[in-house]
Amino acid sequence: MADDVVVCRGVTRTYQDDAVPVLALQGVDFTVTKGEFVSLAGPSGSGKSTLLNVIGGLDRPDAGGIHVDGVHLNELSESELSDLRLSKMGFVFQAYNLIPVLSASENVEFILQLQGLPAAERAERAQAALDALGVGELAHRRPGELSGGQQQRVAVARAIVTEPVLLLADEPSANLDSNTTEELLALLRSLNETRGVTILAATHDPMVMSFAKRRVQLRDGMIAEDSARVAVA
Amino acid sequence: MNELAASYSSAAARPALPMLNVRIAWRNLWRNPRRTWLTASGIAFAIMLVVFAMAMQLGQYELMMDNATSMLSGHLQVQSRDFVETERFEDTLPGATELVRLVESWPSVLSVAPRVEAFALASAGERSFGAMVVGVDIEAESRTVRFLDFIQSGHAPQGPGEAMLGSVLARNLGVGLGDEVVILGTGKKGGMAAMLLEVVGLFTSHQLELDRGVLWTPLASVQEAFGLGDEVHTLAIRTNDLASSADTQRALADHLAQGAPDSPALVRNWDEVMPELHQAIEIDKLGGDLFFYIVEILVLFSVVNTFIMTVFERTREFGMLLSIGTRPWRIVALVQWEALFIWAVGAAIGLGIAALLVFWLAEVGLYMGEQLSEYTAQFYMPERLFPAFSIEAFTNAPLVMLVGTQLAALVSSVRVRRMRPVEAWRAAE
Repeated sequence: MADDVVVCRGVTRTYQDDAVPVLALQGVDFTVTKGEFVSLAGPSGSGKSTLLNVIGGLDRPDAGGIHVDGVHLNELSESELSDLRLSKMGFVFQAYNLIPVLSASENVEFILQLQGLPAAERAERAQAALDALGVGELAHRRPGELSGGQQQRVAVARAIVTEPVLLLADEPSANLDSNTTEELLALLRSLNETRGVTILAATHDPMVMSFAKRRVQLRDGMIAEDSARVAVA
Repeated sequence: MNELAASYSSAAARPALPMLNVRIAWRNLWRNPRRTWLTASGIAFAIMLVVFAMAMQLGQYELMMDNATSMLSGHLQVQSRDFVETERFEDTLPGATELVRLVESWPSVLSVAPRVEAFALASAGERSFGAMVVGVDIEAESRTVRFLDFIQSGHAPQGPGEAMLGSVLARNLGVGLGDEVVILGTGKKGGMAAMLLEVVGLFTSHQLELDRGVLWTPLASVQEAFGLGDEVHTLAIRTNDLASSADTQRALADHLAQGAPDSPALVRNWDEVMPELHQAIEIDKLGGDLFFYIVEILVLFSVVNTFIMTVFERTREFGMLLSIGTRPWRIVALVQWEALFIWAVGAAIGLGIAALLVFWLAEVGLYMGEQLSEYTAQFYMPERLFPAFSIEAFTNAPLVMLVGTQLAALVSSVRVRRMRPVEAWRAAE
């Protein structure tokens, strides 16, 4: 369908853990349509991060196909995957992962520079993104001078400043307290509702699941439950 | 002011970010200042040591060349092509007066000393020894070389019938100042050449070959006695700059080829006249270069170590950069920038200290100690060594270290090019 942002068909991924093969994903069929806010839930080792990684082009499946915004990821080289991530995806990581030597605004601008935008436009868009996330006043502070919640907001600003088709979040609330988590999730939902950003978040935080419009439960590398399917059924 | 205008105004007030990668690289250096300073200090030490040692080494060579050329040979010599090959007495330069005028007219030539060299038998009383009779123009010699500084007693020969002998030759002949020496040789056309000379001066050059076998007497007397007319064997030349004597050699050769096309004159540089000195310098330089490269390579090992640690510690960060769409070559470029900056810090410090040392020693000189001073004084060398201001000395080590640090960073960051984001995440966990 034209509105499908993510399409996974029979995605399988096995990796070696101390020479022991671990079947992380077993023939996953999964679709995310434009404007959805999906939580990928499940216990540790259920495959949610692996699924997020293969959808984000950070890892490659052993079998099966993945399309993101109509692009077949299996056919792309590493460089083309890199460009796809830069142009169509935004990432929010568990540990914020900001560049420690850059200020908040420079961190946000960095990704725009990778896209080759001129300095004035970069500065304008970075400031606008930080303002939208409520950390505009902290634009000149470095990550070490920000709280965990503030750093995660900057990370979200970096992820959305390129106006990606898909925002991928891996345990975005893992290092945050409940108040900050709630604020962040409200922000993500607002971005989803007002800007139509498609969000796919891997989590085992019930609060994140409660904010998502659709919940997908993974177990042993397979989709055990999908609220969308339940709704259709 | 509307929101968009305010946004632009805010952006304009902030510094532009034309080279964010460069800024990241510079700031990254100071994430671990101790390691940065240690690495930069190693680079600084290598550069300082090599620049300073090379400047002193080149200064020593300059001194050796200057002393050797100013003693007797001159910076350049003009001789007959045949004389260079055979050293036969008959192979002279005809038209010497015009040739001297032609050579002196070249701008970078300061002075020209024409010489005749004839082997003969020197006798006094019952004693006879073979000697090289050198016919010289004392005025021209005093402007061209400083051989007259070696006069031990008496004075240089000024007029016909006067001679200055090497002190060992005089001793062998048993003559002193005021005594007479008879010279017997063969003229250019095969006839006998005979001269009766009064010893007016004795010289000691500490070069046994000269002290034992050389006799100086006025040029015109030798030319007349040996039937040479307006012919000489050698024109010894002093130029305005020894370092560029090879350039003068080429230019002068062209000048003579145009001004005296029929002359058999061949212009030779000092390193052709004294190949043994040139070779000795080249061999010594090779040894010095080997030492310099060993120092530089040892320091570069520590630089490799630094960058291996840097890349290893930042695997997670590089994984994140790859994840958000950074191409691996950009990360490699970032590490190369860091290498450039760490080199720049080290090079600035190393060159700064070396420049201070070299400038200071250029003023005061490096005293070589009492024993060495006594030894060098015998050869009319100064008791202090002075460094040379050479572009080679000041650029060699920095350039080697620049290339070395870039290679060290490249070797260390090569794994980034093969790194896949998810593997970087896992490796860092």
